[in-house]
This record gives sequence, structure tokens and C-alpha cells, in this order.
Amino acid sequence: MSAPVSVTVPAALRPQVEGQETVSAPGATVGEVLCGLREQYPAFGEKLFPNGGEQINRSINIYVNEEDIRFLDNFGTPVTDKDQVDIILAIAGG
Amino acid sequence: MTATDTQAIETQATDTPEDLSRYHRQMLLPGFGEAGQRKLLGATALVVGCGALGTVIANMLARAGVGHLVIVDRDFIEMTNLQRQVLFDEDDVANAIPKAEAARAKIAKINSQVNVSAVVDDVNHTNIEWLAGVRPDGSDAADSPAGRKVDIIVDGVDNFETRYLANDCAVKHGIPYVYGGAVGTVGASYPILPHTAAPGTTGETPWEREGKATPCLRCIFEQAPPPGLNPTCDTAGVIGPAVSIVANFEVLETLKILTGNLDAVSPTMLNLDLWGNTVRQFKVARAYDISDCRCCHRRDFEFLDGKFASGTTTLCGRNAVQITQKLGDGQKLDFAEITKRLEQHGSVNGSRFMLRTDIVDNGEPYELTLFTDGRAIIKGTQKPAVAKSIYAKYVGA
Repeated sequence: MSAPVSVTVPAALRPQVEGQETVSAPGATVGEVLCGLREQYPAFGEKLFPNGGEQINRSINIYVNEEDIRFLDNFGTPVTDKDQVDIILAIAGG
Repeated sequence: MTATDTQAIETQATDTPEDLSRYHRQMLLPGFGEAGQRKLLGATALVVGCGALGTVIANMLARAGVGHLVIVDRDFIEMTNLQRQVLFDEDDVANAIPKAEAARAKIAKINSQVNVSAVVDDVNHTNIEWLAGVRPDGSDAADSPAGRKVDIIVDGVDNFETRYLANDCAVKHGIPYVYGGAVGTVGASYPILPHTAAPGTTGETPWEREGKATPCLRCIFEQAPPPGLNPTCDTAGVIGPAVSIVANFEVLETLKILTGNLDAVSPTMLNLDLWGNTVRQFKVARAYDISDCRCCHRRDFEFLDGKFASGTTTLCGRNAVQITQKLGDGQKLDFAEITKRLEQHGSVNGSRFMLRTDIVDNGEPYELTLFTDGRAIIKGTQKPAVAKSIYAKYVGA
């Protein structure tokens, strides 16, 4: 079993993860880690993948070491516990 | 209301811009000098929204000597704005001055070398091009407050619909656009030097000729967050430094762009969490290459075309306005989350089909009724701009 990978949660989605700034789940790819998080926090999973689908919410981006996973290998992007994974939601206020 | 019905209140510069001594300290900077200062004085910036971000932006751009500011905002000043909206004071609240007009009056005292056009109006797909000084065909709109195509659009708005509208206008007409957003203790900013030609070809703008065009906002965030996903400053709160830092970052990028220092423009999206003590710079430059963006690749300006425009209907005889919101496929509002936020303001009742709550905003009582498809009825006003403002503040968009 791979070591848990920690993921930063945007402030707007922290109510769905008991207020935590970061959450973690084991996995060798971004997809596996997000799947694990979806199981641990179903309400959070619903925000990431609306209507129980496989398509990520299109106002959310996932970054690994500050690089968008769309430029890497998307959900297949390999990760370890040394990587910084961020979930970024478009910030609307002002 | 059509664009030309809107009247701008103008301040004409009374001082001669021949005397540049007040800009001495910034002219000392490398890449600035007198030439940079002259470029600023000759430039016109559209500041969209004049709240927390917009007041800091307008204040700093005026002090820096950007020659003409077009400031547009639909709201009036409230006491709860003064904690962070730096151009306003208690007299403005007492006298019920619109934000854009109060900003114009303050700036006239700050820098008499700057022209300011204050426009008190909602920004929407029918008027944003005119506000940016262009006609839909790209020619200068001589009857607009700017009189010609503006040199930059700076983001001081509180909702994503207007941001995508500004982004569409910027990409369509080749106008740099600086995005900024802040809520709670977090914020983000990113400067856009738009692509104006189809992928694989090069447009005529200076930044495209120099190979410095950047992805647009829709390359990065393909879709706006649905209403209610993001908290708003009126439901989640906001601290002054969050908006001030983001706004000043926008000002910084604006000064680089207007003085022609394109090499210095940030290639990354800044993300701050001031309570979590994190400052991150996300790499977004490749988003253009992989995105197949509707806006800058396919030149399909859906927001400018009004496809996603929130509609308003004044409900006759009911002192109410209905707002319809076009959500993305399969999206619906998260009532549980929105209820929690609205409860900060008063009791919320309803069912899984609708929510109802009373809100007192700027001393005026309103009743907000919200449906899962994003539709809302706002009782207590017949003015669409007031209703849209209440929606943006308490539901979010």
C-alpha cells in the first residue's frame, strides 16, 4: 500500500471535509487519491465530481507541484507522499 | 437599458501632465522612466466593479497617473463596505452616493492629472463592449466614456458571469485583462494577454508579436462555479488585506502591461491563503495549448452573445424581480450549504424545492426566494440591478 498523499482543500470546500485544510488518501496516481478521498468524504466527492459522475467539476483544477494535471497525465499523473497536490476552485468574490 | 442610455459623470483633468514631478519615485524604477510615465498618462483603463478590489485598483492607478479611468459599478455604499473599500467614507454612506461617483469625487482630489468617467450601471453583455470603448465590429466607440478602445480591463467584480464577460470582450478585441478575486482570507490573481487569432496563427497585438500571449480565463477555468458553490464576502466574510493584496497585484500587472514591460508580466496564477500562510504560483502557461478553449481557440464568445446571461424580469405589481440563472449541465444549487451561509443573516425556511429568507441590505428589507435551478425572486425592489446585486452578494455567482 502506498503512503498517503496529502491534498490541499480550497477554503470553500472545507465544510465538506470537517474544516480541514488538507486531507489525505493513499494512491499511486491523482485519480486513485481522489477516489480514496471521495470514499472518505462523500459530500466533498460530490463537489469534485457532480451527480456521482466521473467528470470533474469544470470550475475546479487539480495541480501537482503547481502544474495543472491537464498538462501532465490527468488523473493518471503519478504521485507520491513527496508531491504537493492542490485542488483549486475559481475564486469569485471581490 | 441600452448602452447609450447610460450617462457617465466626468472629471476632466485640470492640471497639465507636463509636470511629472509627482511621479518621480516610480519613474526611478528600471523599465519605467519618463517614457513609461508618459505611456501611463496616455492610457485608458476600464475598472469593472468598484467595491473592495475596485477601490484599491482605482486609487492606485489614479495615484500612478493612468491618464483616464472608466469606473463602472451598479451599487451604493453601505456602512459594512468601509472596513475594506478604501475610497469611501461615512459621509458617502449618509449621502447615499453611488460607488462609481464617490470614487470619481475622491480621485479628483487625489490626482488632478487624471480623467475619470464614473458609470453607475450593471455591466452586462449589452454594454461591456461600449464600456471598453469598442463597437462589436472592433472599431472605436467614439460616444463611449473612453472614446476609443481601452488599453486594459482591470477586474474589480464580485461574480464570475461578469468576469467571463470581461474575458470574452478582452479576447475578442485584443485588450489585456487582469483577473482578481478574493473572499474570506483567500484570493487569486492572473494577468491575461489575450490571443486574438486562431491557434497556429499570430495576431497583431504587441504581446502576440513578442510571443507573450497567455491563456485566457476560460482556458484555465472552463466553467464558472455554480451559484452557491463559492461563499461570498457577504456570507463568509472577508478581511481587508485579502482584497487589498489581490487588488495591488492586479495594479502591479496593469502597470507592467501599460508601460510595455511585457517581459515582467507574471506567467503564473497567484493564489493566496492569508490565514493558512500560503502563497502559491500555479503554472498556467500551457493551458492555451491543451484547452481547445471555446473563447480564445474557437472564437465563440458565448458570454458576450448573452448565451449565459442571467435574465431579470420585473414582476408587475409585486415589487419584485425574478432572476434566472443558466447553470451548467446537471448543476443545481446546494441548498444545505446556502442555508448555512444565509443563516448568518436571519432564519431560513423552505423545502427541498425552495428556500426563503429575509435580508436587510443597506437598511432596506428584501425577501429572497431561491429555487434549485438557480432561479430567484427578490421582493422589495423593482430594479433589476438591485436584484442582481442582492443575488451576487448573498447567493453568489
